[in-house]
Amino acid sequence: MLQEFSDWLSQSSLTALFSDTTLIETWLIIPVSQSLHILGVAIIMISVGMLNLQLLGIGVSRQNFGKLCGQLVPWIWAALALLFITGVVQTIAEPTRELMNITFRTKMVMLAITIAITALYQVQVRKDSKYWENSPEHRNLGRVLASVSLVLWVGILAAGRVIAYFGAIEQL
Amino acid sequence: MDLLQRIEDTAIAENIRSSLWIFPTMETIHVLAIVLVVGSIARLDLRLAGLVARDRAISEVSSEMLPWTWASFTVATIFGLALFVGTPLRYVGTAFFDVKMILILLAGLNMLVFQYVTLKGANRWDRAPTPPMAVRVTGALSLAFWVSVILCGRLIGFV
Repeated sequence: MLQEFSDWLSQSSLTALFSDTTLIETWLIIPVSQSLHILGVAIIMISVGMLNLQLLGIGVSRQNFGKLCGQLVPWIWAALALLFITGVVQTIAEPTRELMNITFRTKMVMLAITIAITALYQVQVRKDSKYWENSPEHRNLGRVLASVSLVLWVGILAAGRVIAYFGAIEQL
Repeated sequence: MDLLQRIEDTAIAENIRSSLWIFPTMETIHVLAIVLVVGSIARLDLRLAGLVARDRAISEVSSEMLPWTWASFTVATIFGLALFVGTPLRYVGTAFFDVKMILILLAGLNMLVFQYVTLKGANRWDRAPTPPMAVRVTGALSLAFWVSVILCGRLIGFV
């Protein structure tokens, strides 16, 4: 199904516009989109880095986790929106390179897991700002989630970079 | 240019060029470090501009973020150099590479001026939600420099 969608998208006029390097539009759209994408990643990585290290008890902020969550999670959602828009632009430009690539698909799975973890942080903090600190069970769960989230975010960034090199699915 | 040719002829450069995974791995670490540089400095810049964390002292935000900035900048530089060594002749003299280096210098200069000149009077505005104009300009300039560094870095790969 992804194969058909990728093929259909490749034939579209948008792809033609976004991938024709002789056009000035391409020269503006793609590097600008990629740079905005990196800026979004910058916002995300510093935010999830601070949040997760705080949960692991090696935090750099003097604020407690609940307060930090309230400040940083809205930035994470805003950055994800920017990443989604710019990501879609780049996928339209080169559908096969992204959709028909194992590294890209792995990246999307890792992304879904980290989004769920971040949403869980936010939901619990909204109910009780001390949730992740108020019992040993919660603290331990927090440490596990934080470790998973940190590892996956680094994985997402690495996957994003190496889509260009590895993982292309052989076309039949 | 002779020096660049000599770098390109070294065994290390040859290894970097011929390996399938060395360059992507170094690139990944370079990008991870860059996003941490920009993410951390942007948070301080936005505080200096009076746009975020307005209820917190600038010195507090700065001591929270700058260790990340410097540590990540060191890593980004080391791995940037490693990327450069493989094909130095490809980079030097191309517009985006040269502009990127100049922009990094300007960003560093801006930071030094901030740290050693502007910060002198900090006790008067450390807790001000909206700092004086000179401080806000420093924040905005820094943000503009770093965003441009990213754009140039991306464009180096494009040409």
